[in-house]
Amino acid sequence: MNDLHLPQTPNTPAVTTDLATGVVTMAGDSYPENPFEFFQPLIDWIDGFLHRQSGPLSLVLDLVYLNTSSIRAMMDIFDRMEEAHRAGAKVSVRWSYDPENERVGELAEEFREDCTFPFLIEPRF
Amino acid sequence: MPDVLTDLYDLRELFDRQQIMVCFNGPINAALIEEIGRALRDYLNHQQEAPRAVADIFAVYIEMTQNIRHYARQHADLDGSGSAAIVVSRDDGHYVISAGNVIASADGAALLARVEELARLDAAELKAAFKTQLRKPRENLEGSAGLGLIDIARKASAPLSAALRQIDAGRSFFSLRVVL
Repeated sequence: MNDLHLPQTPNTPAVTTDLATGVVTMAGDSYPENPFEFFQPLIDWIDGFLHRQSGPLSLVLDLVYLNTSSIRAMMDIFDRMEEAHRAGAKVSVRWSYDPENERVGELAEEFREDCTFPFLIEPRF
Repeated sequence: MPDVLTDLYDLRELFDRQQIMVCFNGPINAALIEEIGRALRDYLNHQQEAPRAVADIFAVYIEMTQNIRHYARQHADLDGSGSAAIVVSRDDGHYVISAGNVIASADGAALLARVEELARLDAAELKAAFKTQLRKPRENLEGSAGLGLIDIARKASAPLSAALRQIDAGRSFFSLRVVL
């Protein structure tokens, strides 16, 4: 399983994964017309990590704007983490955002409502 | 009467009167949508609009135009479906995004009904509708602009309004107006 290092583009976020530490970072906007092409490698990586690792998985997010298709893709990721959490895996999300744009905090909050694992939403001052 | 394209005064008057900031009419593709969107966002930031307002206007613009693109992809043989009319204007202190596209007349009534249905929901009901739509199995979503439309309704400051005009036997022009 290879790590991902995707550079940020105007409509897709920067993504990094680290097999050794279980840390996944995503930063930027996500609004491609077809997000599934973009998200599938990350979803595959997360599936692979959750299935073979016993170590914790940490998502470190600095996502700003997500179109509705990207929201659906992120929900798929959080659903997988929720399932792993219920099966005893250590998973967590830390989502930091600029408090000037409270829409990001509201979006993160709506995701958190459906998750029981540690999900920290952090205004960045 | 002077040729409207030789003498742009009347056209300019119309744009000024309607406070139109951006107006586009023609074939659209992903790259064009994104370029116009970024220009719009830069303009709004330059106007020192609140970050939340800029985020909402940009989000609604993206969902409206991507809905049109999705519809066009699913109706590639429908003449004119790859084109859109997009207008961003100001009205009474609010930003207004209007977008129109050619749709199959058979889809018109259902689309209008959906817009009217969403226009009746309050914020809590729209949030619930969004979460329900988000959880629908993906294979049932083919061709539905459902999630995008709910998201647009949630960000709007007034109920959505829509219009439908018959072009010919099989085609109609659908317009959606969103006040932010």
